Amino acid sequence: MRVAGAKKYWVVFTVSWQKELEYRFNFFLARLRSVLVMMLLYFVWVALTKKSGRFAGYSQAELVTYVFGINVLRSVIFGAQSRQVASDINEGMLSAYLTKPVNYLVRTFAAEFAQRSLYAAAALGEVLLFLLLLRADLLVQRDAAVLTLFALSVVLSATLYFLLSYSVSLLAFWSREAMGPKFLFDWVLEFASGAYFPLDILSPALFAAFSALPFALIMYLPMEIYLGRADLSAALRGIALQATWVLLFGLSALWVWRRGLRKYTGEGM
Amino acid sequence: MGTMAIARKYFRIWKQLSLLAIGSFLSNRIDSGAYLAGKLVRFGFFLLLIVSLFSFTDTLAGYTKYEVVLFFLTFNLIDVMSQALFRGIYAFRFDIQRGNFDFVLSKPVDPLFFCLCRMTDILDTIFLAPIVVLIVYVMGRLPVPPGPLQLLHYALLLLAGMTTVLGIHIITASITIWKLESENAIWLYREAMTIGRFPPEVYSPAVRAVFTFVLPIILAVAFPAKAALRLLDGKTTLFALCYAAGFFALSLFLWQKSLKAYSSASS
Repeated sequence: MRVAGAKKYWVVFTVSWQKELEYRFNFFLARLRSVLVMMLLYFVWVALTKKSGRFAGYSQAELVTYVFGINVLRSVIFGAQSRQVASDINEGMLSAYLTKPVNYLVRTFAAEFAQRSLYAAAALGEVLLFLLLLRADLLVQRDAAVLTLFALSVVLSATLYFLLSYSVSLLAFWSREAMGPKFLFDWVLEFASGAYFPLDILSPALFAAFSALPFALIMYLPMEIYLGRADLSAALRGIALQATWVLLFGLSALWVWRRGLRKYTGEGM
Repeated sequence: MGTMAIARKYFRIWKQLSLLAIGSFLSNRIDSGAYLAGKLVRFGFFLLLIVSLFSFTDTLAGYTKYEVVLFFLTFNLIDVMSQALFRGIYAFRFDIQRGNFDFVLSKPVDPLFFCLCRMTDILDTIFLAPIVVLIVYVMGRLPVPPGPLQLLHYALLLLAGMTTVLGIHIITASITIWKLESENAIWLYREAMTIGRFPPEVYSPAVRAVFTFVLPIILAVAFPAKAALRLLDGKTTLFALCYAAGFFALSLFLWQKSLKAYSSASS
């Protein structure tokens, strides 16, 4: 029974994978967008480190690794499926899932995981291509313990982002206007997570403010662990915080889902 | 119909479409408020990034803090103006996919004008005010503030930039007709525009060449700022104006070609 349960989500994964690849030109354009962001940040940091080889306490190799690492992590962590959740609720499509023997949260995660794995593979290819073209100096982490902590942190980041994003999309149960708040949430999260720059280049007061938010654990923490800038105790503390937030947001997503279902009217049916 | 009469007719259509768009924004107040806040957050964070960078350095690619901020603000001015005026293009894909473009073609109005201008973005129009105020402030803080001649030069190149950006919008619409699945074409342009957030000297010569001649973002966004900074000579200005005109003509040619290739989704 449990195997059959897992199998249906595997089917969601494979179908979503095929759906992504169906529109190949669109997929190519989406990846090109991602490359442009990476290129912009790469050249800015290289320009800033040209004189002394360092900037704001980071070496050029560390900053370049941060930019390339972020390009891959963006694909692994940031997904777009939770946006579909708001649309499913507002347009009454959720009704179709409620009548099926599936857990909507797990189904959405399986669809998102398919998209993320495909984009992550593409992002890795882009980084390798860029490395060859630019002959950039990259920091390759070889410490097995650091790599293990990094991997654990990435898994928790992806889960945390999904739960946060999913919870915000559930606002659609109460309002037809959920896309605007999602847009605002996405931009706050992107910057406050460190998806554009290492957060510690900000003033100490701003850095402290951003560090207090769970967003900083999504991009900044995994990259700091990979670069070896977070020592063992800081890394473990960060991972423990991530796990706590995952638990809190997981419970709150379930609570909001249950409350929201009571408000759901199946509009459009 | 004389040229003035045609201009009056299109102004009336644009005014009516804009009023309808304003009504739509006002009827979705939570969404509209959140979108406006999101735009301000994005703008504020990038400004914060630039200011933070200058707490560790005096120059970026040879430019001082206020000069870099002027590049960033000029990028925002053109980006936001084009979004305010040509927002309709973002919905063009749905018209093509659902066959609604047939209704546009049957109207006694130029279909390109209608598709580009049918949804004036009031949020971006509001957003223009703080950008213009900041540009005036930053220009006053430059090592050598621009005089009347430089301001005229700046305005002329802004016009060339807007013409270029309009051309890019038209080309993305043409691509949408040719390739139905190209929803990311307009977003690719948006991402490419971000190249203009920083001075072009930050990028390698090859990247600069691509974004000046192939996808002329640097020409559209960085040239006006350079004009205000007295860094653009007459020859380069003439080249920018001619290139903008040529690029716009090319976009119209591609649009006409794509219209001939259009086959209604509903027929």
